[in-house]
Amino acid sequence: MAQDLDSLPDDAFRLVVREWVEANYPPDIRNPLKRLHWDECKSWYFLLAEKGWLCPGWPKDYGGMGLSPGKQLIMLDEFERHGCARTIDQGVLMVGPLLIAHGTEEQKAFFLPKVLTGEHVWCQGYSEPNAGSDLASLRTVAERDGDEYVINGQKIWTSMAMDANWIYVLARTDRKAKKQEGIGFFLVPMNMPGITVRPLLTLDLNEEFAETFFDDVRVPASALVGLPNKGWSMAKALLGFERIFVGSPKQSAYALARLRDLAERMGVADDPDFQAVAMRHQQDVDDLTDLYEVYVEQVRQGEVPGPDVSMLKVYQTELYQRITETMLEVAGEHSGMLEPMEGNRALNPAGLFLQSRPSTIYSGTNEIQRNILSKNVLELPG
Amino acid sequence: MTTAEDRSESLRMIRDSAAGIAPRTSDLKRIRALRFTEPGFDRSVWREMCEMGWLGLLVPEDNGGSGLGVQEFCALTEELGASLIPEPLIAGALAARLLPPDQLAEVLSGERIVLPAWQEKPLSLDLAAGGTVFTNGTVTGKKIFIPMAAGADAFLITVPGGCALVERQAAGVHLDCQTTQDGGNQGTLTLENAPAMFIAGDVSDAFETSIMATSAYLLGAMDRVFGMTMDYLKTREQFGRKIGSFQALQHRSADLKIQVSLARATVNAAAKTQDDSTDPATRKAAVSRAKARASDAASVVTRGCIQLHGGIGYTDAADPGLFLRKMMVLAPAYGSAALHRARFRDLAPAGDED
Repeated sequence: MAQDLDSLPDDAFRLVVREWVEANYPPDIRNPLKRLHWDECKSWYFLLAEKGWLCPGWPKDYGGMGLSPGKQLIMLDEFERHGCARTIDQGVLMVGPLLIAHGTEEQKAFFLPKVLTGEHVWCQGYSEPNAGSDLASLRTVAERDGDEYVINGQKIWTSMAMDANWIYVLARTDRKAKKQEGIGFFLVPMNMPGITVRPLLTLDLNEEFAETFFDDVRVPASALVGLPNKGWSMAKALLGFERIFVGSPKQSAYALARLRDLAERMGVADDPDFQAVAMRHQQDVDDLTDLYEVYVEQVRQGEVPGPDVSMLKVYQTELYQRITETMLEVAGEHSGMLEPMEGNRALNPAGLFLQSRPSTIYSGTNEIQRNILSKNVLELPG
Repeated sequence: MTTAEDRSESLRMIRDSAAGIAPRTSDLKRIRALRFTEPGFDRSVWREMCEMGWLGLLVPEDNGGSGLGVQEFCALTEELGASLIPEPLIAGALAARLLPPDQLAEVLSGERIVLPAWQEKPLSLDLAAGGTVFTNGTVTGKKIFIPMAAGADAFLITVPGGCALVERQAAGVHLDCQTTQDGGNQGTLTLENAPAMFIAGDVSDAFETSIMATSAYLLGAMDRVFGMTMDYLKTREQFGRKIGSFQALQHRSADLKIQVSLARATVNAAAKTQDDSTDPATRKAAVSRAKARASDAASVVTRGCIQLHGGIGYTDAADPGLFLRKMMVLAPAYGSAALHRARFRDLAPAGDED
């Protein structure tokens, strides 16, 4: 199956993905209001696994599809288009690629199959309360003690930590080294003594995130991936794809479609004032789509986009927020309600407004992205 | 209440008295605990507020009130907004101004809570849209978005020519409450030949005061969350520096300060116009400009404060979110910014106001 897909022209490939998704995606979890927990999204995870489509970016030898980055983007595009839920995908997106690049044969043989079967559900232990934008200043330590490392510290924004049974952790292995150079990458089972998970309620009252505490957690030396001082550079190299994907116009396009539903319901769809605002949003989405396409083409050609890709993230997330702000204006008093209008998930102005808030904060705040643009792209002094 | 000195003394006293229940330094624990409960506020605090004379602040002294002005009431609700007080004082005070003297004693003491129900359509300022009528001692119709309706003992329903007072428990009264983003509730009231007492009179002046008071509440809320955020920028460190030292955040902060200041100037001026002017169009135009600014500025400032807090701002445990969610409820309440801009356009004298 996968062999055929790889050689298909892009349009034909898109059609194959679309038809399969439309025929097979579980309808009860389409366009979910919130990030789904494992119990809610595992049916989709297993469906993808069974089809062999769980890991589009992994080489075929490891059970992936070996798809080109361009085709991977088409798949993601089609999943988003249909309103597919995000699975708990850290094993697929982060642990797999990292081990394939830097893991030992033993690590690959042990971990990769368990991602493919869903036996291991992973979460990410990067951010800390005092290491957010400045992640490299993280203070969680992993101290070598004979054949073991002893981990102490606190992680925050460990997405879905309450559902995960494994966590990958950046921890300081050398306190004397320059801050980026004394960090190791560790794979840790969540059931180890000394690990505590405390759910972190988000602004929209969802328990997607948690704080994870490490109190003298002892792991074997084999829990380390790569060299003890290379965790930072390995982790950073993994973020390439994410930087493009957070700039995908799909999120804004989805919000704009919901804005139109809302305008219809509120009886202002034909109002000239509304149409003027909606048209401005529409053109912003269209123009962003053109810019996004420039970067997709780079990926398709096998190039790695440069720091200028930050433009996508800044523009997309702020457009997404603007559209949800228009939703509040159109919804009037309904924007103060906790539940979607008439129980209709498509009419959820307050929910989308709240969900759009962190987009300018996560994956590198927009302030950090603007710094990257002004320093690394524009080469402004200072 | 004639001289400017008297006025400023009276406003200072009101603010001091507000600090008893709503101190600006409060930790918002009470507010958190009341969220998503019924009725969403505390009746004993309501009684305390009544004992302070707040419910009857604008009720004439002869009727048991304090006979103060719109400026005093706005000074008070600004303080309430700074502490996100959930007790529905603005709504309750609206009803108190419309009730006849013989109905007032129990209400002003806080024993009985009467809340107004005026709205029939979303995004409307129409006090009697015609869908709710009083005939033969009964009222029939439907009212929506009634703030904190779950805590009312009776409702004051706007109808053509005045109001109809209806008991919550009366036959033909059906109340359905929906939870709001701030953890409070809003009611939909369906009335079918419900027994009611008609109270003739013009609701509009008291209603305008409620719009002003909501603007002032939003002002207090945005001012407080902005202050909290400035404190955070002065303490939080990243990259070995206070994050407030980064110019990107300094400029964002300066922009928010401008919004808070515009809102304060506009709300204060509009409140003064209510007390000083007798021309209905002038008064209403000032109200609309104040509410439009307060709603928009509250949105810009609360959103900006979440951004300036970064990730922690997106947690429910952090306080800025409480202010954002309050904004989501109150920015559209008593007319959204867009609605008030449209009303201002219709009311304002052509050309320059000068």
